[in-house]
Amino acid sequence: MEVYEVFRQEKEGGPMVHGGSLLAPDGELAAHYAREFYGRRQESVRLWVVRRSAIHDVADPDLLQPPMDRSFKKPVGYSTGIKQKLAEARERAGGAE
Amino acid sequence: MSAQAHPWPGAEGGAPMSALATPGTGPTGTGATGLDDDTRDALAELLLFMADDELMLGYWDSEWTGIAPLLEEDVAFSSLAQDEIGHAQALYELLADLTGEPVDRIAYGREAGGYRQAALLDHARGDWAFSIARRFLYDTADAVRLDALAGSSYAPLAGLVAKMRREERYHLAHMHAWMVRLARGGEEPRRRLATACERLWPDALAVLAPPAGERRLLDASILTQPFATCRQRWLEELAPLFEELRLPFPFRLAGAGLPGQPRRLEPTFPEPGPEGRTEHNDDFRWLWGELTSVYRSEPGATW
Repeated sequence: MEVYEVFRQEKEGGPMVHGGSLLAPDGELAAHYAREFYGRRQESVRLWVVRRSAIHDVADPDLLQPPMDRSFKKPVGYSTGIKQKLAEARERAGGAE
Repeated sequence: MSAQAHPWPGAEGGAPMSALATPGTGPTGTGATGLDDDTRDALAELLLFMADDELMLGYWDSEWTGIAPLLEEDVAFSSLAQDEIGHAQALYELLADLTGEPVDRIAYGREAGGYRQAALLDHARGDWAFSIARRFLYDTADAVRLDALAGSSYAPLAGLVAKMRREERYHLAHMHAWMVRLARGGEEPRRRLATACERLWPDALAVLAPPAGERRLLDASILTQPFATCRQRWLEELAPLFEELRLPFPFRLAGAGLPGQPRRLEPTFPEPGPEGRTEHNDDFRWLWGELTSVYRSEPGATW
């Protein structure tokens, strides 16, 4: 028995979203079970059924949560700053809309 | 895992789905009107056969809920069983339109002797291999029966059959997957499956035994192929799989080699008679008590 991860698409063109996982002896039955778990109420238009062992798992904290300050890589400061600058510019222009 | 759908060999025969999208363009397009009494009775009998088949299969298979071999299969098999009960309901509704009798009374208000499912659907669920073998034999026989009704002149039936076929195709693929796995799954699963097939073959023939009014149904194009033809197709489609899986297939070719005579697969056991849908066993009488108990507690109640 192997674990399979199931991704589902709710409507044509939408994103594939993780639905959950299931246990199956092989891919063929996994596809059948995926249909019953994530498609029997017509809630999906497409399923991706992936053997969990085929997934490249990336969870290394050194890679994803490095200890150095990374705030300069975030857009937050820039976006709050620019709102203020925009307000000041409007002020200078005399509120002329 | 293969990306394509993988029905058992031959499941892709039949008309393409697109051809079924516009069902019911036959001469009697407005339902029951236009049918003479004999034809209507013949149609009612056929609908009853099919509905009772589906209802009993649904009930027996639902008995695996909670105890199937693995959790995922438990959910899947129960869902398949629900599908069959849904098919039964839709068929009983067609029948009710025809006879004017309330649907619930048709489904649950008959005495045990009034049910007309094939002998194949009389057996209790047995072990897992038995349930799989029974369901596979039924689903494959039902598939050819549905093929013969897909182009029915009776529009309501053609329309329903188009929908049922889309579900049944997928049920069949599921059952095929299990047949292969049990047949190749080592000594015990294989032995259990072979025993079940051996036991079930004679009763499976009852599914495609012709109804009394078959001639009428053919004349009215309600049915587009005789049941004898359906049976041949069914057996011819199953023969290679049973050979490949080395499972019991108690049929032999007859009529081969004679000029102008088509070859036919005939059973090596005595041909079952028409009692295959009228004489029910104790398993069924028990099931009848179960499945009608609520209805009988207050006949005529609105649920």
